[in-house]
Amino acid sequence: MSSIVNAVAARAKIVSLGVGVLGLAGCVAGWIVAPGDFFVAYLFGHFFFLGLSLGALALLMTHHLTSGYWGYSVRRFLESAVSTLPLLAVLFVPVFFGLPQLYPWKNPSVIAADEILRSRLYYLNTPGYVIRSAVVFAIWIVMARFLLKWSAEQDATVSVEPTRKMRTLSGPGLVIYPVTMTFAAIDWLMSLEKDWYSTMFAVMICIGQMLGALAFVILLLSVAADSRQLGPVISKEETFHKIGNLLLAFTMLWAYLEFGQLLITWSGNLPHEISWYLNRVTDGWRWVCVFLFLFNFFVPFFLLLMRPVKRRYQVLASVAACIFIAHIVDVWWTIAPSLHPEHVYVTWWAVIAFLGIGGIWSAAFLKNLERRPAVPLNDPRFAVAVPA
Amino acid sequence: MSETYGLLAEFSTPEALMHAAEEAYAAGFRQMDGYAPFPVEGLPEALGKKNRLPLLVLIGGIIGGLGAYFMEWYANAISYPINIGGRPTNSWPSFIPITFELTVLCAGLTAFFASFALNGLPRPHHPLFSIPEFDRASQDRFFLCIETKDPKFHPNETRAFLQQLNPVSITEVPE
Repeated sequence: MSSIVNAVAARAKIVSLGVGVLGLAGCVAGWIVAPGDFFVAYLFGHFFFLGLSLGALALLMTHHLTSGYWGYSVRRFLESAVSTLPLLAVLFVPVFFGLPQLYPWKNPSVIAADEILRSRLYYLNTPGYVIRSAVVFAIWIVMARFLLKWSAEQDATVSVEPTRKMRTLSGPGLVIYPVTMTFAAIDWLMSLEKDWYSTMFAVMICIGQMLGALAFVILLLSVAADSRQLGPVISKEETFHKIGNLLLAFTMLWAYLEFGQLLITWSGNLPHEISWYLNRVTDGWRWVCVFLFLFNFFVPFFLLLMRPVKRRYQVLASVAACIFIAHIVDVWWTIAPSLHPEHVYVTWWAVIAFLGIGGIWSAAFLKNLERRPAVPLNDPRFAVAVPA
Repeated sequence: MSETYGLLAEFSTPEALMHAAEEAYAAGFRQMDGYAPFPVEGLPEALGKKNRLPLLVLIGGIIGGLGAYFMEWYANAISYPINIGGRPTNSWPSFIPITFELTVLCAGLTAFFASFALNGLPRPHHPLFSIPEFDRASQDRFFLCIETKDPKFHPNETRAFLQQLNPVSITEVPE
């Protein structure tokens, strides 16, 4: 059976694996030499690639529910990203050893000075953190397993049963994803700030993940667009037009949520709510805010309003690349200023952790990609969705 | 006999109308229009019709957005400044919702009124209504009308030109 992966991708897999192994070796060095800088970087690298996988999971379930034409051509990319979740669960383990470097609720002097934080210690503690992390990963992996298993069954049978099962899981799955992500976001990211809380934060993270994952699969699809395996199944212009519309919707939704949280915080003006923003507008961090506004929303928004931009995949791919790069900055901006609010802070360890986790992740992604046929076979809704 | 509005050619398929529109445009006709029971993709472009609506809607939206922000800035920072919880008088995050709403409102109203204006509406009568066959433009026939105000229009030559496109019929439309 044909596969998207050709000789180039096979070489890419070996290169990614090499980069990943070297990067992870660098991570070990970082852990020993500079644990303070390293764990922030590692959390960033991990959360970025976890975001791609979870965003892909949410997009995959959205597609199972809606069976839109945009999804058939990218479904294998989404499924391959989802299948890396067990790997990401293993790669999360080092974070458990960095809790004192990362979180104020592990810092005795901060706890002693902060009554609010003391009252939260019954929830924010090491066993709770580890157990909740294990549970959310288990839920994600179980959902991913079932979706991948049924997808493989769908390829092998003409029965509609696997398709029906995938749709049945996807409805509740799209509710489970933001709920589990709420717990994960509170533990992993929100508790980086000592008193701060926001009820909008988790959904903001979810939409950011879906935006990043969508930009990622658009980039891959533009690379695969000329491949013969995809050729007869997808109409390039139609697919890119529809998926471009989806990208527009997600960058608007991202901006809407980011602004919604800012407006509520601005209107309330309460000390425990504004600390997150105060840490992100000092010195050069404010220019990072401007960068994110421009390249995660403003520029892509106006470009994606134009029909020709969406119908020419080379152009759409450059918009997706812009969003993808901005999303990397977004994840760093979500994490790093909480620990280093005074000045803009970047460390080489972030690059090393990004390449290490990213390399291993990409190798696993490509390996999963080549195992499956390039497009879904026997999907009963596919024939309807493909225009003649 | 009264003035003539134009020559109306009747076709039975959208493809024939598309072909006729392309031929007529290539022959240099500009003052013409196509009529079909449903939107035929590509027909406006084939007839050389430019849609100015998107540009007008964009301008309407920008005016609405700038106007809204100016209104709030002027009211809160210049005309009647009040200290609200220590925030700056030019409190931009609070101004964004109204700016957004008025952008959408002005763009929407521009779209509504501009599409009326660009379509020449309201228009109680049109010369084509006097042609009995033209009723089928809303059912199953596709029409191309080349108007007499086109500088290249000539009663006999234009009729001969339309004839070689194999229409179902050609009708002279009185003014």
